Amino acid sequence: MKILTGLMLTMFACIAVAQDPVHLDVRTIVQKEEIVVNAAGDTETKLVTAETVAPGESVFYTITFTNVSDEVADNVVITNPIASELTYIDGSAFGPGMDILFSVDGGQTFAAAGELKVTEDGQERVATASDFTHVRWIMQNDLQAGAQGIARFAAVLN
Amino acid sequence: MDWQIQNKRETQRRLLLQFVTTVTLLLSGLSAMATGTPAGTVIQNSATIDFDLGGTPITLTSNTTSITVAERIDVTVTLQSAQVQVSAGDTIRAILFRVTNIGNGTETFQLAIDSVLAGDDFDPLPSAPDAIFFDTDGSGDFNIANDLPYSPGANDPNLAADASVDIFLVNDIPGTVVNGNIGRTELTATSATGTGAPGTVFPGLGDGGVDAVVGTTGGQAADVGEYIVVDVQANFVKSQLVNDQFGGTEPIPGATITYTVTIEITSAGTATASVFRDVVPANSTYVAGSILLNAASLSDAIDADAGEFDTSGAPTIVVRLGDLTSADGVQTVEFQVTIN
Repeated sequence: MKILTGLMLTMFACIAVAQDPVHLDVRTIVQKEEIVVNAAGDTETKLVTAETVAPGESVFYTITFTNVSDEVADNVVITNPIASELTYIDGSAFGPGMDILFSVDGGQTFAAAGELKVTEDGQERVATASDFTHVRWIMQNDLQAGAQGIARFAAVLN
Repeated sequence: MDWQIQNKRETQRRLLLQFVTTVTLLLSGLSAMATGTPAGTVIQNSATIDFDLGGTPITLTSNTTSITVAERIDVTVTLQSAQVQVSAGDTIRAILFRVTNIGNGTETFQLAIDSVLAGDDFDPLPSAPDAIFFDTDGSGDFNIANDLPYSPGANDPNLAADASVDIFLVNDIPGTVVNGNIGRTELTATSATGTGAPGTVFPGLGDGGVDAVVGTTGGQAADVGEYIVVDVQANFVKSQLVNDQFGGTEPIPGATITYTVTIEITSAGTATASVFRDVVPANSTYVAGSILLNAASLSDAIDADAGEFDTSGAPTIVVRLGDLTSADGVQTVEFQVTIN
């Protein structure tokens, strides 16, 4: 019954997309740090679009989403898998007005950092950033018509 | 699919934005490397957004971002040999090093020897015509018949990520050095793609045409090995044989242990007035009259012969070997104790 409901929802969603694809605009970018010398001759670090990244470098993912409809969207949830080649940087997930949760089981369950546990060699321990498989942001407030939200996190390339 | 459906149920009437991350390998034949994600790996991200608006669930997908893993150039050189004992005038004395590609792609390295280093007593002389060799037979011991010389530009080691190669530096020792002198020799491995400050980029020069980026090692590494001059080099080997009083070999109280020590000079030079001393082990008692030198019995008394059992301090077996050279061959000292 659960699966049936899910399938119905999915079908309904597909029909809705076909009818009107522009209720919401969502974009994602990936950046990395680059050290540049500014006009004053000082070095500064700025974020530039990441195309090639070397192991050990950090990448910064930014998701922006805009409600381009004239209706209110409530209870916004963003979920983002962390690729196996990446290690989440502790404390880097960020989103104004959002609660941030993590998963260590491939996105099946989510909880706040520090509440998650993993079993290693038969021993249960508190999960650390390197165990995280997904990041989830939950908007505390509705996304008003015309409003924009932003979610970010950073990871190191293994 | 299951968890996605479940999520949808959990988040009915919610706006759900979900990223789908997929990873593909551009290059085939690469396996996961302990030193980093293989060069050329592509990591893609695209966002899916699910939301209810006015009671209508809608799904949209964002653009896809893509990053390509650059080749990181990193190398280490680590000394494998202990300090090598040499004599003045020795030739072809080898020191073993290991060059390891700790980057994430396949890289070629150029090798160089430098034996003119500060902080030592003498400069070893790189052997001619070749002073850098591969440990071709993998023995760890230099063998000029099996180990191939390095020829710059012709057989520069080409190492996959995580792979290593063992290299000998071979030097001659000047005839003028004296006992206790130390001489150092250095192996440097340099990335053929390029070196520079960490972060230096060589566009398109990595595996499969990806960018190559210099890692923390700067694309170059070196380590130093050391020779020490000792007048005479000797080999000592001690072995023991247990015979119990019941005809077996159990080390029980009353059993007899026969110790055999062999001494051999392995270098040029003379060990003058050599003396063998061995303290009787704890919890055992020396067997009177058991000292043998090259199978000939020596008395325990302190007298004219070469051996004695000296009890003036800790009970000690003493054998005076006299002036020894390599021409004297192996000297064998034997004695017995019983276990208390």
